[in-house]
Amino acid sequence: MKDNILIANDIVAGYGDNTIIDGINLKIPPHKISVILGSNGSGKSTMLKTFCRLLTPQSGSIVLNDKSLQEMKNKDIAKSIGLLPQNSVAPEGITVAELVTRGRFPYRKFMCSLTAEDYTAVKEAMEAMKICDLADRSIDELSGGQRQRVFIALALAQQTDILFLDEPTTFLDIAYQIEILDLLKELNRKKKTTIVMVLHDINLSSKYADYIFAMKNGKLIKEGSPSDIITSQTIEEIYGLKSVVITDPVSCSPMIIPISSHDDLTNVS
Amino acid sequence: MKQNKITIVFTIGIIVLILSVIVSITYGAKAVGLSDIIDGIFGRNTDSFNANVVAARIPRTIFGLIAGASLSIAGVLMQSITRNPIADPSILGVNTGASLFIVIGIAFFNIQSKIAYMGIAFVGALITALFVYNLASLGNGGATPIKLAISGAAVSNALTSLISIFVMPDSSVMTTFRFWQIGSIGGTTNTDILLLLPFTIAAIVISLMLSNNLDTMLLSEETAKALGLNIGLTRGIAAICGVILCSTTTALAGPISFIGLMIPHLIRAIVGSNHKILILSSGIYGGAILIISDVLGRILGRPGELESGIMTALIGAPVFIYLIRKAKLQSL
Repeated sequence: MKDNILIANDIVAGYGDNTIIDGINLKIPPHKISVILGSNGSGKSTMLKTFCRLLTPQSGSIVLNDKSLQEMKNKDIAKSIGLLPQNSVAPEGITVAELVTRGRFPYRKFMCSLTAEDYTAVKEAMEAMKICDLADRSIDELSGGQRQRVFIALALAQQTDILFLDEPTTFLDIAYQIEILDLLKELNRKKKTTIVMVLHDINLSSKYADYIFAMKNGKLIKEGSPSDIITSQTIEEIYGLKSVVITDPVSCSPMIIPISSHDDLTNVS
Repeated sequence: MKQNKITIVFTIGIIVLILSVIVSITYGAKAVGLSDIIDGIFGRNTDSFNANVVAARIPRTIFGLIAGASLSIAGVLMQSITRNPIADPSILGVNTGASLFIVIGIAFFNIQSKIAYMGIAFVGALITALFVYNLASLGNGGATPIKLAISGAAVSNALTSLISIFVMPDSSVMTTFRFWQIGSIGGTTNTDILLLLPFTIAAIVISLMLSNNLDTMLLSEETAKALGLNIGLTRGIAAICGVILCSTTTALAGPISFIGLMIPHLIRAIVGSNHKILILSSGIYGGAILIISDVLGRILGRPGELESGIMTALIGAPVFIYLIRKAKLQSL
């Protein structure tokens, strides 16, 4: 399997005259799970949108295997890079299987009906997200966690080697959060899919990420493995929050305990 | 399961359509028998009075079918482009825009040919559609259902006043305009239909070719882009098709309201949001319903007749009220 290398070269991006991302250079580690961390307004989502070419950078370029995204056809990009946006919507009454099938759009030839490959891809995507038994259900009757799995399956039916997810666990309760992240990890380990997510939860990031990018004020301030990034010093740098870092007794990844202004710090060494 | 439902919808649609065509040819101020219809269609016995009645009703029926299908498909396209359940050529003011331009054409440029009517109606409809959509997009939240309905109604009212300004002072314009507006689907000839047909067929075929793109466009804008869809291009082509369909119909029949709102919405509720099926079945049912409205108008309005536009408004207005209430609840 070839490595799809995705690189950001000196990206400056934003909306209108407003510059949000200010000169970012980074390389997405292939076949790994990366998480982008940062405070609100640090430019995480903007970065993600630029990577998926939803947003054209004001300067700089996103390069996929030595080719700038600006020079590529929309559908060719869509065969390499998938996205789960923050807010997904579906037409009223559509069934799960129909919705996942819409992920085949970049592969469909003009005016042709679905091919055998399309059906296989849809089936695999639904199997990976464990939603085969929901295939004929209407999307309106599903729970939040089920819906999110359906939308991830839509992106998987796109059969991309790189998958971006913008806050895939927001609005889900803790059990669904773990379920989604477990499924994504399984996908990464089995299919070697490169996964890049924006997450708000530092401890979940630490638990699931192979690599973390830390952003602040539109700049990349640090990158590395969770144990490099999740230190009380870096957390304070990113969020301006004091914390104590301990080791997660189960996964042995670093874990932060935020310090409140009401906490009694005499016991902390 | 779903496939069955779609087959049933198509079968019923085609049966209703065939029945409505037969009824439209049979009923009217003078009722004719089945044998006269067959004679009329195949041109036998052309001297008989009944066969002539049939021959006269055929273009009206065919045009009703084309007009109903065009307006319904225009409704489907407009609803999908604006992601808005209450978009329709009459509510968005597009048909009024077409009317205004026709009036201007009659008053100042002395237009007479049907092709000139259609061309000028297209320009008017396109400008109005763009204007209403941009007006509704002002402020927060983009073009929401309520804002679209309000700006459509406001623009429609303003344009109606403008129409009066041009029509009232000049009795000759008034006469021509009334003749056009009252024409409903009754005044069309075979020549008109042949003129209209290429535009209608082209617009419907292009819409069908766009159906995969339209399906994708109904996902969120970000998902659609991530799937590689060129949203601007799809929206633009679909809008032009929609405007062609409703403006050419309006040019020949005068404004017919609510068909484009009612039919796509009912069909969408039954067959879902697959555009290929949505466009085809809306076309079939739209044609049938307009023919039926026309027949009802002929029966209820005896010895004269009620315009089919009045009939569709009578049936469609309650549907509109229902939809706008539903849309309002959703956005709250």
